[in-house]
Amino acid sequence: MTFVSFHKLLLGSATALLCASATVVLAQEHSYAPSDIENGRGIYQANCLGCHGNNGDSVEGANLASGRFRRASSDEDLMALIRIGIPETLMIPRPQFAYGDLRALVAFLRSMQTGGALTAQDTQEVVVGDASRGEELFFGAADCDSCHGVNGGGSRLHPDLAGIGSTRSAALLQQSILDPKAVVREGQRFYQVTTTGGTVVAGKVMNRDTHSVQLMNADEQLVSFRESEITTQGFIATPMPAYLDVLSADNVADLVAYMLSLTTPE
Amino acid sequence: MKFTIKCAFVTAALLPVMLPVVAQAQVTPERLLNEANEPGSWMIHHGGYDGQRHSDLTQITPANVGELELQWIWQVRSRAGASEKFEATPLMVDGVLYTVSPPNDVVALDPKTGRVFWTYAYTPAPEARVCCGRVNRGLAIHGNTLFMGAIDGHLLAIDATSGQLKWDTVIGDASLGYALTVAPLVIGDKVIVGPAGGEFGIRGFIAAYDVETGVEVWKFNTVPGPGEPGFESWSDPAQEAYKLGGGSIWTTGTYDPELNLTYWGIGNPGPDWNGDSRPGDNLYTESVVALNPDTGELAWHYQYTPHDEMDYDSTQVQVLADINWQGQPRKVLMTANRNGVYYVLDRTTGEFLLGKPFVAVNWMDGFDEKGRPNQVLSPTTEGTFIMPNNQGATNWYPPSFSPVTGYFYVPSWMDTYSVYTKRPVTYVAGQTYAGAFPTMAMPALSVRPVNQRIPEEGFGAIQAIDPATGDIVWRHEMSDVTDSGVLSTASNLVFAGGREGFFYALDALTGAELWRQNLGGQVASGPMSFELEGRQYIVVAAGAGLFVFALPQ
Repeated sequence: MTFVSFHKLLLGSATALLCASATVVLAQEHSYAPSDIENGRGIYQANCLGCHGNNGDSVEGANLASGRFRRASSDEDLMALIRIGIPETLMIPRPQFAYGDLRALVAFLRSMQTGGALTAQDTQEVVVGDASRGEELFFGAADCDSCHGVNGGGSRLHPDLAGIGSTRSAALLQQSILDPKAVVREGQRFYQVTTTGGTVVAGKVMNRDTHSVQLMNADEQLVSFRESEITTQGFIATPMPAYLDVLSADNVADLVAYMLSLTTPE
Repeated sequence: MKFTIKCAFVTAALLPVMLPVVAQAQVTPERLLNEANEPGSWMIHHGGYDGQRHSDLTQITPANVGELELQWIWQVRSRAGASEKFEATPLMVDGVLYTVSPPNDVVALDPKTGRVFWTYAYTPAPEARVCCGRVNRGLAIHGNTLFMGAIDGHLLAIDATSGQLKWDTVIGDASLGYALTVAPLVIGDKVIVGPAGGEFGIRGFIAAYDVETGVEVWKFNTVPGPGEPGFESWSDPAQEAYKLGGGSIWTTGTYDPELNLTYWGIGNPGPDWNGDSRPGDNLYTESVVALNPDTGELAWHYQYTPHDEMDYDSTQVQVLADINWQGQPRKVLMTANRNGVYYVLDRTTGEFLLGKPFVAVNWMDGFDEKGRPNQVLSPTTEGTFIMPNNQGATNWYPPSFSPVTGYFYVPSWMDTYSVYTKRPVTYVAGQTYAGAFPTMAMPALSVRPVNQRIPEEGFGAIQAIDPATGDIVWRHEMSDVTDSGVLSTASNLVFAGGREGFFYALDALTGAELWRQNLGGQVASGPMSFELEGRQYIVVAAGAGLFVFALPQ
């Protein structure tokens, strides 16, 4: 049992991977110094956030948080794209950025993958246990896999956790287990409708507007309701239970360790 | 016999040539001054010089608006995505509908069918840079000449019949961020514009150009320099901050012919979110200025947000009306400001009459007797939670005033907030000169087809305000926010839309929804109305299309 910060752990895994295999380059490219990520956040806020938004997903067809870029794959590609810009768009050339600035910006962009933009609380130190014990719990006693898949499995209603370890801090993962209602991301919110016929339908919000709502219901079916079909409606709490008084501190630490080990995206 | 027919044909064909040539549109200054006499036309960007965006047409009523039918759709050439929103309000002059396909293609349309008479395709210079969209808000007309500002800082004059370029004047250096998104304003023989670019360290201005030649006639610096009144409000010791002081223009001014004053709202000081380099009130940023349109001379000003660090550009339409003010008729100027406050000023003197929030506001808590806001929150290095958010309570989307109901109709972003964080900022020519962009739960420019936000993160509304009290009379709420302008009509209808793509007809007295249509793309434009051959039409741009509605024949 050790006390580590997310960043230290990330750097540690990068070092381990450096000695591992042919995937070294990619792995190294997707692991960054915390100072770079923090510097990149400042550059992003000053230059990018206005169009791309808090979570990098505000520009249609260019979701920076997806970890996939249509016009770039490597970090060098991304840096060139930022420096040169994209003609006839708002993406103007940024020749003033030094290599270090671009490197930091890319580090921040990579940290946004799967919507996991880092926040100040991510640097908090938490207890991280044993990943193999955590894996046993995940697929065993804790029954996490009844909802969450890892590269498949689980339910479509709940996020697959492949890659979660490369984008979430230990602190955020711990909070998600102990108090999942504290942070529910857009795209993971649940909604409940009572129809004029008296049927109650709850599900994940796929979309909504002033006159209708679109859900994925408990049977993982896509359904929609017009306002004329609804008597009451509204957001409801996430169905993920809080494990504060359910799991021991050691179990939580082991689960955090396991999720931190899930660094390969889906 | 064959010869005779041929001669007759040639003679007939030549006949029109021998007659005096009369151009399609002859929009004299007198016609613009008396536009109220032509309710079927729409010859000025905001409908009239008063900025009311109110149509006197009454064929479409609350009783029959439910029968509105789509007449035609015209689709723009560009993708009109997040960066190229279709924001222009068309002009309707002498049987032709003129509009701008983003970013800068002017098109003349047959208003009966949507067929194109001509297109003037303009490719902006690649160094053009705009903060918030490669957009254009519309045209102005004088005589037979249309005027368009381009995002590369060019002001263009185009023949309204042929679509041919007449002149092209560069009003600012595109590579430094000088851009034109505003619809020009023609007063007399001058066409008036000012540049956007407040996020790039420009020094803004309002300038008038000769309609025939494009030569500059006068220029008013929205950020005064040494020797100009207001320069004392830029009190940095080096006296350098004004050179990058912002003060952009991107919404068309209004005009009172009796007072011979034109009113323009002015944008943010630069840099946006860190004012440490520019101590002082930073006039005339975040102000309304009243100018003599013949000379550009300043008559008065009022500053809505002194020393702004929240990017609350005050470029919203400065709407003019004569209303009952405390029992007496008064010539007032009304505006719903991006900073969340609805204002009434005396437009003769600039006297502050009323300021009242129309959304949740926490950056100020009142005014002194002269109308200076008591600011209680500012950006900090730790981050400050401020309402409304950076995009503001409203923005460029034009409001409406109905002299029939007496209400002021405002597209509003409700309950929004940002966290403003002060960070160092350095000027690099042509690059963003703003500071750290505030965080927002509500995306500023997004047209994502999905809304999964909770209401606490903000929502949209069209609000009716009692102009004399600032009280909200009614509110039509939408799940998502709205970038739509508002049109009111003399038959007590209000037309507006939002990001969801719905376009509504509301009861102007109650806000009740009378009709709606899903147009499949966000409404980010000002609706307008015209009449042709006895039919009233309602026009609105949404997504990549221009949609035209009328009652069944």
